[in-house]
Amino acid sequence: MILDANDLPDGTPQEADLCIVGAGAVGIAMALDLLDSGLRVLLLESGGVAPEAGSQALYAGTVADPALHSPLDTYRERRFGGSTTLWGGRSMPFDPIDFEARDYIAHSGWPIAFADLAPYYPRANRIAEAGAYAYRADQAFTRPLAPMIEGFASADLSTDTLERFSCPTDFGRRYRHKLEAAPDFRLLLHANVTGIALAADGGSVDHLQVATLAGRRFPVRARHVVLAAGGLENARLLLASRDVHPAGVGNGEDLVGRYYMCHMAGTIGALRFTRPVWHGYDIADDGTYCRRRIALIPEAQRRLRVGNVIARLHHPRIIDPAHRNGVLSMLYLARMFIPYEYAKRLDGEVRLDLPTQARHLWNVLADMPGTAAFMWHLLRDRRLAERKFPSIIIRSKANLYSLDVHGEQEPNPDSRLTLCGDIDALGMPRLKADWRHTRQDIASIAAMLEVLARDVAASGVGTFTYDPDSVAHEMTRYGAYGGHHIGTTRMAASPRQGVVDAQCTVHGLANLHLAGSSVFPTSGQANPTLTAVALGLRLADHLKTLAARPPVSVSTS
Amino acid sequence: MIRSVLVLGASGFIGRRVLRTLAAADDLIPLAAGRRVAARTEDGIEALRLEDGDTAALSAALARVQAVVDCRAAPPEEMRRGNAALFHAAQAAGRPLVVQLSSMAVYGNAVGRVDETAPLSEEQGPYAAAKLEGERLAAAYGRAVILRPGCVYGPGGTQWSLRIARLLKARRLGDLGAAGDGIANLVHVDDVAQAVAAALRNSLAEGQAFNLAMAGAPTWNDYLMAFAQALGHVPVRRLSARRVRLESKLLAPPLKILEMAAARLGGGAWAPPLIPPSLARLFCQEIRLVSGKSEDLLGQSWMPLDEGLAETAAWCRAQGA
Repeated sequence: MILDANDLPDGTPQEADLCIVGAGAVGIAMALDLLDSGLRVLLLESGGVAPEAGSQALYAGTVADPALHSPLDTYRERRFGGSTTLWGGRSMPFDPIDFEARDYIAHSGWPIAFADLAPYYPRANRIAEAGAYAYRADQAFTRPLAPMIEGFASADLSTDTLERFSCPTDFGRRYRHKLEAAPDFRLLLHANVTGIALAADGGSVDHLQVATLAGRRFPVRARHVVLAAGGLENARLLLASRDVHPAGVGNGEDLVGRYYMCHMAGTIGALRFTRPVWHGYDIADDGTYCRRRIALIPEAQRRLRVGNVIARLHHPRIIDPAHRNGVLSMLYLARMFIPYEYAKRLDGEVRLDLPTQARHLWNVLADMPGTAAFMWHLLRDRRLAERKFPSIIIRSKANLYSLDVHGEQEPNPDSRLTLCGDIDALGMPRLKADWRHTRQDIASIAAMLEVLARDVAASGVGTFTYDPDSVAHEMTRYGAYGGHHIGTTRMAASPRQGVVDAQCTVHGLANLHLAGSSVFPTSGQANPTLTAVALGLRLADHLKTLAARPPVSVSTS
Repeated sequence: MIRSVLVLGASGFIGRRVLRTLAAADDLIPLAAGRRVAARTEDGIEALRLEDGDTAALSAALARVQAVVDCRAAPPEEMRRGNAALFHAAQAAGRPLVVQLSSMAVYGNAVGRVDETAPLSEEQGPYAAAKLEGERLAAAYGRAVILRPGCVYGPGGTQWSLRIARLLKARRLGDLGAAGDGIANLVHVDDVAQAVAAALRNSLAEGQAFNLAMAGAPTWNDYLMAFAQALGHVPVRRLSARRVRLESKLLAPPLKILEMAAARLGGGAWAPPLIPPSLARLFCQEIRLVSGKSEDLLGQSWMPLDEGLAETAAWCRAQGA
């Protein structure tokens, strides 16, 4: 059943066995998993079905350095479906090494292993509609694929791991019919959690304070509460709930909001190949777009003492008309029609002078057939297609590419979210993001680039040239990778090192659980959505078991 | 103990398999009957040509057997007339046991887990109403076993095999997203034949109804994917809900007219298959047929889907799909 909180009587408490806060990727996936559990589940969503400026404005906050971090109301959507209404759909699991404590990555190591999460990945993949759970080319394809780089051989780099793409599926739109039809389930729209009220002893959640922008206020009481509000909002809710613990819920060790990670990402260098390469998508039997990447294998990471890094072959930098490619120039000229979140890494918000813009226009005119064919492809395979062609792929006639790098960030307690002085329309303190990176973050990428340059040359397949001194600049040119909000309520076996335990339960609060990328202790190289969903499904399983036990002592007065 | 069994509709998709299964059994002697049978089937089984409405011939055939399995497939009105004639003749011919092939359509638009005790409904239209009337006649007759199969697939099957294969080949079916979340309550035609044989042998089955659908039946999306892979019609396309609506509401009526015209001209294979609204509805109906009773009482087991699809796909390919 789907209801609007504005239609409920003011002040009337709402009750459930389990309350999930946030109807985004993780909240909806968990709800789907719990539909047959016999539990009365209440899913609270701040926004409505469509985008609403008032709800979205609740996300606004400040950033320490606008050059390094996007505004906080971008790259995330406060509405039913959450940021899956915006995402690109790139999916892949974390690697086993990502869970390990590595002495060369400070604060690394999860209290669970890859094997603990592995059983949940296939279902996460299914819910995300990323096709079969097969992330190596030889597992995903029975037909032989053309090599990514013909003749390339490396002991340190692999070219057979895949990223798979969701449609990209808007979880709200896709699963609404299931949520509407389910008994024992309620989704409340326009229901903003403004505080977590603890029992007097501070050992459990008594109720959630809920408010609507139209002025309704009511408490929600549930035997168990899951915050699945996203990597930033989970921390904000804990920090802002200070009625019993002055530092916020679960923040006895001053860990909430710290260790904030995104990913290091940027485009660098020139790869010129003398042999055929394939840097586009392969379509799996189930219709999923799959793409191979160049990945630093775990053994090499250990030997070089660096983090996890992958890279893709990429088109030349768009803003420089020297590429003489009509499609790239057209994308530059049409950038105002592209959403901020996608345009940012296209043009870097650089404003070009008129002569340079004219050269872009000339590129378009000189390459009309190519540009027209690309427009048709964009219309048919992306705009009109239900499963969308994931990104811009430009074949280089000169066999010349740049390298698009995506790397792990080292957990850093000084990279953090705090509450700034402002409050939002509901009286909630707003966030301030002070995102930082470490020397190791850059060193990991630098090491990967060095290995690639060495092995491209040694294989005799071409050259990779780049300026080693520009690595830090290029990897921070566009700031933190947008939309990946990781680590702010990290998982650890000990309350001194983490906010939640290995089951995602807040240390010291038996009925408060956190779901999503905020609990990841490390970021890995992978986009976080699939792992966030898998962890949510694991938590849902755990909650089914917990629910079979007698209720924890929660006041219902 | 039953030994002699009349199989009505013996030249049809299910009838042929039932006949073959009964013929292979040591304890049962089938007698084939149908509109298109010769004096003996290819397997050497005695057969009777039986025209619709020939009640005398039907009565004579029934008088020779201890049981009858009704595998006739017909449009609703014809089905009603056939059922009435069958039970009338059976009553006059010593009341042999009747094994009646009903359908999951009698559960209407139910969702969730549905066993044989669920309410029955005519809401799915004339076909369901005719099946339900047949069940009522069977109940009044008193000596009947009702089998309620889901979607019967297998080599020789048009509705759930060849039609689907042709639509997959044309990429008019594929990954349907939310429109394909319903459960494909599949049952292989050999499993139906086994259930018929078990119902004939087990006196406890008399007076009972049995659901027939494989355990762990897939969603329609999963079925379509697996079938497309078995057929080699991959990669599948993701089809939008808008496209499915267009197929079932706008495209289906003219295609139906074309299909009827093709049938009149004596062909039909060249007419493109259609997706009627009822099929589009079924694709998203989350009804899970519970068949535990047939497992417990009839000892029913189910052909694994990959095995069933492999032989079905081979047959469909041979038909050009």
